[in-house]
Amino acid sequence: MKLLKYTFALLACAVISACSSDDDATSTEDLSGQTGSLTLKYDNGVGDQDFLFSTSYNKSNSESFKLDNVKYIISNVRFTDSNGDVFMYPTEDNVFIVDEEDGNNAGEIYITLDNVDAADYVSVTFGVGIDQERFALGAEGQGDFLDLADEKGMMWSWATGYKFIRLDGTYTTSTVIDEPLNIHMGSVGTSLDNYKEVTLDFPNTVLVRTDKSPEVHIKADIAKVFDGTVSVNFADGYNQVHTDELTTGIIATNISSMFEVHHVHND
Amino acid sequence: MLFLGFAKAEAHSLKSPCTTHQPLQVLCDLCGCSTSSGSFGFGTLSNANFVGVRYIYQNFESRNGIFEDSPLSKETFNTYQVWAQIPINDSFYVTASLPYQDLTRDFNNIKENLNGIGDANIIGWYKHVFYKKEDETVINFSGEKIASGHSLQFGLGVKLPTGEFEQRLTDNINPGFQVGTGSVDGIFSVGYNYGSDTFGVNTLLSYYLKGENKNDYQFGDQFSYAVNFFTAIPKEKMNIMPFVGLSGDRYDTITQYGETLKDTDGSILNASIGTELAIEKFIFGASYTLPVSQNLFGENVQSKQRLSLYVNFAL
Repeated sequence: MKLLKYTFALLACAVISACSSDDDATSTEDLSGQTGSLTLKYDNGVGDQDFLFSTSYNKSNSESFKLDNVKYIISNVRFTDSNGDVFMYPTEDNVFIVDEEDGNNAGEIYITLDNVDAADYVSVTFGVGIDQERFALGAEGQGDFLDLADEKGMMWSWATGYKFIRLDGTYTTSTVIDEPLNIHMGSVGTSLDNYKEVTLDFPNTVLVRTDKSPEVHIKADIAKVFDGTVSVNFADGYNQVHTDELTTGIIATNISSMFEVHHVHND
Repeated sequence: MLFLGFAKAEAHSLKSPCTTHQPLQVLCDLCGCSTSSGSFGFGTLSNANFVGVRYIYQNFESRNGIFEDSPLSKETFNTYQVWAQIPINDSFYVTASLPYQDLTRDFNNIKENLNGIGDANIIGWYKHVFYKKEDETVINFSGEKIASGHSLQFGLGVKLPTGEFEQRLTDNINPGFQVGTGSVDGIFSVGYNYGSDTFGVNTLLSYYLKGENKNDYQFGDQFSYAVNFFTAIPKEKMNIMPFVGLSGDRYDTITQYGETLKDTDGSILNASIGTELAIEKFIFGASYTLPVSQNLFGENVQSKQRLSLYVNFAL
């Protein structure tokens, strides 16, 4: 019986020690000088469905659309930590094109940010498009991004500026079938500013450390471009959106509501 | 080979956290690591002492993405386990198991394999046997009490991190795609058995208090339950014991860095059918298990089926 008692006592000890936790190790860490990388994974969908090229998706007013091009510009990415401090990614590198064409086999487009200050981040803020300050740097001040934007078809002329989002395809309504659909929304020079910023809270704290490269999975709901804050109809002129002040403004507002952080991975 | 069986199908559990997150990753404990849990059973129908080997085949489907139509990956788990129930005296015994895990994940025809020693567990049991009341009008010449067939078992044990836990795999939707949880878990069990010459019932309730592993990753606590009904058909050279059972598991949410992760809890209810065959000192068992209802990891993981085969040598 003695052996038994010892066995049980040992088991009990093991169980109890297993269950005691040493939490909050992260809150007292010294993070100064530490940096890490953080990846934003953009994942385009239409409602609960994954986005696929040349696939017909229904919207309001019995209209539908098919797209062959889905691209948008993301810039001025910054993170807010649990103390309220903001880390802004270096401006010259802080502009990206999310192109569905560049997606991996799961349709995710990665933006990897290196040398991010180590911290416990609680939210991300980014702009859709190019703000006036960056545009004011002139063609020379755009660095390599100007060539990239040109190559991706995200520019009008320099004077007119960048296309913040580019959707190309066809649409169908109760009266027309497969007519051309082109949404090229941007600011127009310095006369019309459609740049908008989005702040998304993280469902779990994102821990950036030298040895941890967290990933933030952002879902972008393309349906919201047309059925976002405002529902618009192709039949009412939203089949061709270019530089018009009214239609581009509404599309810009809708786009700023299409993002959500679905989840994060701390690895 | 059809004879191998499942031992008591006590609760088939999927352990929970097997998947983790990608958005939904979920499952780890659920799968690979859970094969040692109560829902899979700790022993044979007759509660005999034995040493033996058990093979468990399971498969799962996990949604690999955040959308309803995201592509599925298929996970196949092969577990080879050495297990035993060793008596200490009339009232106490120990059950133990050590698995070897061979896990395969097939996504877009790309196969990923993971294998190695899994998590061992050891549980000490106290068995309380109920005896028939003495009938004072009958003189019992033997002087021995007569067992009523009813018994209770109380188990206290640990699951040890003998399997390797790989943090990178937690990005899979199925958190269960791990050979080990990396944690020391406490196991608390209570069972009730009834057995007569022709019929028996085994029930088992188990609670797993999950510890945190070195990666600050903690699978959710798990509650497993199982009930099996069996009958005995004596033949000339063997004893056939067919059984049917229900078992299930409930998993709490996975915690990482002190925060809970969404879509990492779940539950599953399984139905099993199987048989044991006792030939001299050998017990062969086989069982087949299908899920009756499940909601695992935000419905991103689906358990498809499970097959268990075993051969035990009675001590």
